[in-house]
Amino acid sequence: MNKNVERLYNGIVKENPTFILMLGMCPTLAVTTSATNAIGMGLSTMVVLIISNFVISLFRKLIPDEVRLPAYIVIVASFVTVVQLIMQAYFVEINKSLGVYIPLIVVNCIILGRAEAYASKNDPVPSIFDGLGMGLGFTLGLFLLGAFRELLGAGTVFGIQIAPSFYEPIAVLVKAPGAFLVLGCIIMVMNAWGISTRANKMVEEGCASCAGCGTPGTENCDKKEEVKA
Amino acid sequence: MSMLNVSSSPHLRSPHNTSREMYNVVLALLPATVFGVFHFGLHALLVILMSVVTACGTEYVFDYIARRPNTLWDLSAVVTGLLLALCLPPSVPLYIPFAGALFAILFTKCFFGGLGQNFMNPALAGRVFLLISFGTAMIDYSYDGVSGATPLATLNEGGTVSVLKMFLGFASGHIGVSVAALCVGAAYLIYTDTIKWKVPAATLVVFVIIMGIAGPGHFAPLYIGAELAGGGLILGAFFMATDPVTSPMTGLGQLIYGGLIGGLAALFRLKSGMADGMSYAIITANLIVPLLDKYIIEEPWGVGKPGQVLPSEEEMANKKPGIAIPRSALVLCLITAIAGVALGGVYSLTKDTIEANQMAANLAAYQAVVPGAENFAYDEAISASLEEAMAGDYYADGAYGKTRVNEVVAGTDASGNIVGYGLSVTSMEGFDGEITLALGIAADGTVNGISFTVINETAGMGMKADEPEWKAQFEGVKVDSFTLNKSGGSTADNEIDSVSGASITSGAVVNAVNTGLDFYHNYIQ
Amino acid sequence: MSLFMIIITAALVNNVVLSQFLGICSFVGVSNKIKTSFSLGMAVIFVITIASAVANLLYTLILEPFGLGYLQTIVFILVIAALVQLVEMFLKKTSPALYQALGIFLPLITTNCAVLGVALNNVTDGYNFIESVINGFGTAVGYTIAIVLLAGIRESMVDNDVPGPVQGAPLVLFAAALMGMAFFGFSTLTLG
Repeated sequence: MNKNVERLYNGIVKENPTFILMLGMCPTLAVTTSATNAIGMGLSTMVVLIISNFVISLFRKLIPDEVRLPAYIVIVASFVTVVQLIMQAYFVEINKSLGVYIPLIVVNCIILGRAEAYASKNDPVPSIFDGLGMGLGFTLGLFLLGAFRELLGAGTVFGIQIAPSFYEPIAVLVKAPGAFLVLGCIIMVMNAWGISTRANKMVEEGCASCAGCGTPGTENCDKKEEVKA
Repeated sequence: MSMLNVSSSPHLRSPHNTSREMYNVVLALLPATVFGVFHFGLHALLVILMSVVTACGTEYVFDYIARRPNTLWDLSAVVTGLLLALCLPPSVPLYIPFAGALFAILFTKCFFGGLGQNFMNPALAGRVFLLISFGTAMIDYSYDGVSGATPLATLNEGGTVSVLKMFLGFASGHIGVSVAALCVGAAYLIYTDTIKWKVPAATLVVFVIIMGIAGPGHFAPLYIGAELAGGGLILGAFFMATDPVTSPMTGLGQLIYGGLIGGLAALFRLKSGMADGMSYAIITANLIVPLLDKYIIEEPWGVGKPGQVLPSEEEMANKKPGIAIPRSALVLCLITAIAGVALGGVYSLTKDTIEANQMAANLAAYQAVVPGAENFAYDEAISASLEEAMAGDYYADGAYGKTRVNEVVAGTDASGNIVGYGLSVTSMEGFDGEITLALGIAADGTVNGISFTVINETAGMGMKADEPEWKAQFEGVKVDSFTLNKSGGSTADNEIDSVSGASITSGAVVNAVNTGLDFYHNYIQ
Repeated sequence: MSLFMIIITAALVNNVVLSQFLGICSFVGVSNKIKTSFSLGMAVIFVITIASAVANLLYTLILEPFGLGYLQTIVFILVIAALVQLVEMFLKKTSPALYQALGIFLPLITTNCAVLGVALNNVTDGYNFIESVINGFGTAVGYTIAIVLLAGIRESMVDNDVPGPVQGAPLVLFAAALMGMAFFGFSTLTLG
């Protein structure tokens, strides 16, 4: 398979950031209260991801190793600010519903994780496709969650009444506890079907770092292991 | 040869095993259940049946699918179903008990391992799930054409309720509304030693104390009675909080847990619009139970685990029951934190009462100088300005000598219109020290008059200022400030004749009054 | 709102993890042991309180007067990263014991959404300096409460007979869901 297409397939299916890698949990739980918010968040993140992957890959040989994390952060933060300004100007409604989660893209594990795991070690063009793949995978994941929660919790999808009128929406699903419930159920189903996900490892080994969680079993996770004793 | 049953000690035979306890609970709930059906009608019975059947059915199906031994014999599913039904409104559509019982058993119990392994009370978790999900249906307490205003709601809006009716159960509410029937059941449970009595004891004590201090009716028996009889407090305290699986194992833990429930229930009762605070109070307290059980150690009564090296006799003698030493700091922090939060909560709840008490001291004076006012209250904006103005030692840096404005209250009539202001002002320059008076200014700026609250001047001289004829000089005039006329014979409104031979006293009084007027013109008008 | 009410609101009513979903990664990842959870909570309180103070000062003294408000994201995240480095170095030198307990968590807090989220929220809510610090402190206290409670629950469930597919992440998420439902009650309070 062509390398770039392989990147797409990887990001959308094989290493889907939401369901397999369990990255970017904060926005995943917070903004999936409706399908519209979910897509808005997913696409914003994707844009930042593509650009930052590209830029970081372009300059990967120039950024010294010791300062790479702060350097990535500055690059990502700049693009996030750009995206934020554009949204404040042209997409005011979505910007209001997504609120503080737009600037929080900066610390989204996906962005820093992919920068660390792929963009810093590969050529720019595959990096773009990696960003595109991961971004699409993230958007897909968010959309599925958001549509599901909105449908069962409010009876609508994209604001359009889909559920039959006798259906009483289960409002808890679009509130905070419902996010945990739905995600837990999805992972439970995945466990039952034998689809392996990093989720179970994450709650046991406790990888509290996001920058180091771009790929399973990275240095930061190990460092946490040895001092845990 | 038959196999002899060999098992190691200790053997503890007691009539208490889980199904026996659950059986007792079901028995204890029967009076309230029967009353609920009798009072609310057939639909209530359907709700109860749907809840119990769903609960048992869910557990049965789960055990079957998960290939586990069936656990229905334990009756805890029956108890969960029954308890859930008893705290639902009597006419809810049947999908409500279905969804609630399903959630309660599946998500709170089965997924966590099943029998005895849940950390949260399943019935209440189910109820809160329903509260958040189906809000409108869950607060509709109407039945059989009777309107649904529950006694607690009526009480909140300032109406009166019949505590007797609430107690017996002849009121609207959830199905288990009869407190009397519940008490019968609770007495049975305590008599048979089925429940941990320390929990409801602590709950009720703390609840009554906080409601008494901070509630609108204070310790009036009818008010406390109504608060106790409503909102599922008794049902929660005796039947939900005492759930053996989700309550602490140690006596001290039970007291802390019960007290926390009582405190939270009072907090929700007073500061939240809903009457369902008891449910949230209990499930929030459930969260702390694992920590309570971990860090509070009681005297062990059995042998240790196999392979464990037992401490020697002296060590055992020295090891007293109590809180494990290395963890004591953490437990202390937890207790301090809870105490701090509780104290802070009590403070904020009692703040208004304390303020009212402060004001009471000057109340008589304010009433004298602001006639027509029924209530006095502090105005936030004015109080803020006062703080600013009194940033230094004396008002306006001593422009009127050593004077201060102590407090300002706004007097309102029965309709809430402001009829005037009462200002408490002090001058430290009386002949014998402090003179404090209440200055009344009507809403249109006219001075109503003055009334002394602190005056210790010389009898027959300075004290003559406290005579009606002298004080009358201040009454009913509209001026920006007064001037003292030491020679007497004033004609103008703003001239005050000095008390003969007591010009110092008079001067202090005039300064104090002018201070108040100055504040009024600059900050209130 | 009185300062005490700000703390209660920040810690319980709008709990940072259970209502705002900030700091989820570490919330589910570190909460398997009470001791480490408590240590992480202490470290978080430390960092968030100081970061709130510094971020507020930067915003009111430099960014806002010069119309550079849009730079807040970049400035805040850099400040947080630098702050954490400084704190780590300071701890290493002055108190090895404390560093042993808290130190490993500090770099992991840099990318914790909660720190940046609180700093940004302080700006949006228009808090002054004292209010920002108190709000940050209260938020971090809420984080600590949530993670310690979850750790207590998880430790007590270690020997549970959990059904296969529920083991691991779903169990923790369901526990968090129930916690969230309990804290939902606080959101109905009208305080202050």
